[in-house]
Formats: sequence, C-alpha cells, structure tokens
Amino acid sequence: MKLFSKSESNSPVTDTGRREFLSKIGFGSLVVSVFGFTFQSIRSLIPNVLFEPSRRFKIGFPSQLSEGMTYIEEMRLYVFKEGQTYHAISGACTHLGCTVRYTKLNQPKTVEIKGEKQSISHEFHCPCHGSKFYADGTNYAGPAPRPLQWHKLEVSPDDGQLIADMTEEVDQNYRLTV
Amino acid sequence: MNLMDSIKRGWQKLAWTWNPSSDKESGDAIVKNVLLHWFPNKVSAGSLSWSYSMWLGTISFVLFMILVVTGMILMFLYVPSVERAYSSVKDLEYVVSFGWLLRSVHRIAAHLMVATVFLHMARVFLTGAYKNGASVGANRPLNWIIGIVLFLCTLLLSFTGYLLPWDQLAYWAITVGTNIASSAPFIGEQTRAFLLGGNSIDQNALIRFYVLHVFFLPVVVLLGFCWHMWRVRKDGGLAAVDRDAREQRARETEPVKSKTYSLLGIVGGASVHVRAKAVDEEGNSVPSAPHLVRRILLVTIATLVVVLVLAILFPAPLEESANPAVTPNPAKAPWYFLWLQEIVTDTTLNVGVFTINGALIGGVLLPAFLIGLAVWWPYRDKSGHGSVGVWFAPERRRQNMVFLAICLLIIIFTIIGTFLRGPYWNFYWPWESWPSMPVRF
Repeated sequence: MKLFSKSESNSPVTDTGRREFLSKIGFGSLVVSVFGFTFQSIRSLIPNVLFEPSRRFKIGFPSQLSEGMTYIEEMRLYVFKEGQTYHAISGACTHLGCTVRYTKLNQPKTVEIKGEKQSISHEFHCPCHGSKFYADGTNYAGPAPRPLQWHKLEVSPDDGQLIADMTEEVDQNYRLTV
Repeated sequence: MNLMDSIKRGWQKLAWTWNPSSDKESGDAIVKNVLLHWFPNKVSAGSLSWSYSMWLGTISFVLFMILVVTGMILMFLYVPSVERAYSSVKDLEYVVSFGWLLRSVHRIAAHLMVATVFLHMARVFLTGAYKNGASVGANRPLNWIIGIVLFLCTLLLSFTGYLLPWDQLAYWAITVGTNIASSAPFIGEQTRAFLLGGNSIDQNALIRFYVLHVFFLPVVVLLGFCWHMWRVRKDGGLAAVDRDAREQRARETEPVKSKTYSLLGIVGGASVHVRAKAVDEEGNSVPSAPHLVRRILLVTIATLVVVLVLAILFPAPLEESANPAVTPNPAKAPWYFLWLQEIVTDTTLNVGVFTINGALIGGVLLPAFLIGLAVWWPYRDKSGHGSVGVWFAPERRRQNMVFLAICLLIIIFTIIGTFLRGPYWNFYWPWESWPSMPVRF
C-alpha cells in the first residue's frame, strides 16, 4: 500500500459534501476571526476613561462673583450675575465650536427677540465665520443655526458654592436665584 | 590608477541599467533591475511627451518620497505629546541644525502635493484619460476611482499633519475641521469623538492624528500607488497610447510581431498584445531604459530644486502654543479647505421652522456629492474612442466646461477665503486694512 495513494471511494458525492462542509467551516472561522480582530481593534480605540476636566464644576461663592459677566476660560463658560439671579451661557459657537467673544456695545441697543423688545448692552461675536448672538444667546447673523447653549447652575449643598453643570442644557428663562 | 579603474567598474556595474549601451541591454535592464521591473520594455513616445501628461503624477510621487524621507527624520525629532509637541517643533525651528529647512521642505512638499495631485486629476479629466480605449481588459474608470481615493488620502495626510505642531494655527484649524464632521446627521458626534478619542482636542487626539499621519495614511497611499501603477500597465499604458493606436489603425499598417520582456507579457490577458501593435512600430516607441528613466530623473531633480527654493523663500510659520481659551480672529482652516469654510459660512438655510447647519451642507453633503459625482462620471461619459487621451476633445466639450466651471468656483472660493476674509470672517479687499482686534478680553 502506498502512503499517498488515492483512496478508491465508491461514493464521490458524499466526499464532495464533506469537503464543502469543511471548507465552509474553514472560511467561516476565517471571517469570524477577522471580524473579531477588527471589532476588538476598533473598540479598543474608544476610550472608557477620559482624562478631561469634569463638565460639572464649582465656580466659587455667589457673593464673590462680580456683578455682570464672569468668564470661565478653561470651560468656555460665561456666567452672569444680575442682582440675586445667575445664569450661564456657553461660549462655544453652535456653528463649528469656535469660542465666541463677549462684545460690549458702545451704547445699549433695542432689539426684538422672539417678538419682545429688549435693551441689550452686549453681544457675542464668533471670530471664525462671523456668527452673531444677542445678549441672551439668540443667533441673529451668520451661519450659526441655533442659539448659544444655556447651562444649569446650582448651589452646592456642602459649601454653598455655585456649581455649573455643562452636561445639562436649560432654556433661556432659566435663572438661579440665591 | 588601479583603484580608479575598480571604482569605475563598480560604478558601471551599478549604473549600467540606467544607461544601457544597446537595445539588448535596455531590455535586460528592465528585467534585471528591481527598481525598473514595473516599467514596460518599451513606451510610446506620446506618453513620454511633456505637454500630454505634464508628468504631474510623477511629480506627485516624487513629492511623496520627499515627504517620506523628511518625515522620517522629523519623527526622530518630534515628540507627539501635548506637553512637548510645541517645544520640540520650536527646537526644530531654532536649535536643530537645518531643522527649519527640514520642516519647511516637508510643509512645502505637502502643500505642493495637494496641488499637483489635484492638477493631475484635472489633467486626466480634460484628456479623457479615465476612458477605456479599444484595448481589451482595460478598466480605466477603476483607476480613476483609485486616484480619487489617493487624492482624499493626500488631503487627510495634510490635514492630520496640520495638528502636530500644536500651535494656535493647528489647534483651531482642527477644531473647525472636526466640528464639520460632527455636523453629519446621526453619527456626527460619534465620528468626532472617535477621531479625537474624547470630547476635546487633547492628548488622545494628538496621538491619533500622529499615528494616522506617520503610519496609517502613508501606508494606504503607498498601497494605493502600487495598485494605481499596476492598473496603468494593465490598462495598456497612458491613454496617449490609445490615441497613437487609433492613428496607427487609420494608417492601416500590418501589426508588427511583438516581443515581450516583462512578466505581464507572459501572464494571461490580452492587453500587452493589443498595445504591442502600436508600441512596437518603429518610430512610435522608445526603450524605457534609458528614455523613461531619464525623464523621471529629470522630473525628480526639477521637483527637488523647486521644493528647496520655495522652502527657503517661504519658511514654515509657527504661532504661539495652542490655547483652547483664545480663538484667533479670523480662525482659518488649511488653504485647500478654505473653499469649504467659505461655503459652510454661506449655506445655513432656514426651511420653515427647521434650520440646517451650513456645516452639514457645505462640510458634509457638498463634498460627498462632489466625490460621488467624480466616481460616477466615467461611467456616465459615453463619448467615443476618439476622445481618449486627447486634450479638450470636441466631443467632450460640454463635460470639460462643467468640470472647469466647478474647478473655477472652488478656486474662487479658495481665493476669497484665503485673501479676502478678515476678522469675524468679514469681507475685506486686499487694499483695506483689518481693524485691530483684542487678542484677549
């Protein structure tokens, strides 16, 4: 008997079926393993932990904030104090995320925002593509599609400092009264 | 004397393939030299012409090689970390010997490559070179698509390199660029987060852009380039060959018996034989070594000189270190994206109560549409064989007009974005001075 002689099978049909089955298993496992490797490679690139500053943070005691605007540079947040009330507007332009500039007007102007006449003394202007926003963040010129985001302010229960929560968006009527 | 002789003999042993002394040697050169093996034994004189191809593809490849070589040196000198990136680039500029030149050459070659790849594409379009001629087995539309992918990779390479110096220019160009990605519907935010590896441009983003820039994209370009060249051979050479073959058929000469030296001639497929008719005709073709080789070397030296002169005349800028808190005014994307930036500024639409962000139209839909149009075009182009490999073929006149009109619009928008936009993206003529803007407030 030769070592590598062809077996003289009487039923080649079943043999073909077995080969097809084995080759399907082979290719199938190749596809599965390639898919698995691809999946784990890409998944590993989606971080589970981010070493970024928290988007909810303390900004100091309400009494220490000066009347008017305070800019928190690292978080690009404008915090406004009007007497007893506080609100916060994000400095990220809603068009492409450049930082809008707080622009003081030389003289207050009266504008109509959503049918209401208001007198404003400042605006926000975006340096990247020229979007302009009224004092309450309403967009009125340039490519910005939405008003600037307003963020929630709270009072910290432990020490009474103001907390800005940039993970939460609030509407333009939101005011925190302390 | 003896030493000189052996040096001379050694040099001849190395260099004979570049400068063969007989037809037999020039055939051998192609077979024996690994650097030449992918050339055909003979090339048609028409495809070597300066005025036909303008050698823009070759120039692009030479620029790519310059970028690979300077890039590898730069990799020894650059540290891709947020803390050290800027200072290592600054060292490169002011401390390392010839560091400024290295960086400037790398930058100029990158800018030129974007331009030459685009011009190469325009040349191919205007000569109808994406069209199959009469040869069997050609698939030039596929090669056109590979070319589009290579062009997009070139743009991405340039864009990823833009962030690496970690200066203000870099930081804000990437801010604008990645925010365009986030305006895509449904997957925009996730795409941006995946690109940046987080919510802000930080260490994760820097290392991602770095790896894409120095490894992933160059490898894609290199593989794509190999495929591109292989297809050129399979398609029977440049489209100029089809033009020659057509002219030859018009003269109705008998086909010349062809002799092939390359592997492609032995392996199946009819392309080589069909081409052989035109190429093997005396007076129509020349041996690749030395004629093709000589022109490639000429193009290489010319490109090197131009890059070097431009690099010295226009040194690479380095602004102050990246500062997420201060947006420069105006903040501009790289020049080849400024036409898009100009469009994203102008295309925010109000449809009833819905507002569509200009970034979606100008930054996602329009580029996607243009790429789709370019991919689809060769399959739509039903002009005859007579307009293959011919500049401004009369039959393709209207197509060329449309193409040139699109190019012209892109160029006009680029010029407006580059030269005529000042602070707050307001329009300023070149003779108007920009108002002084506070850097901080």
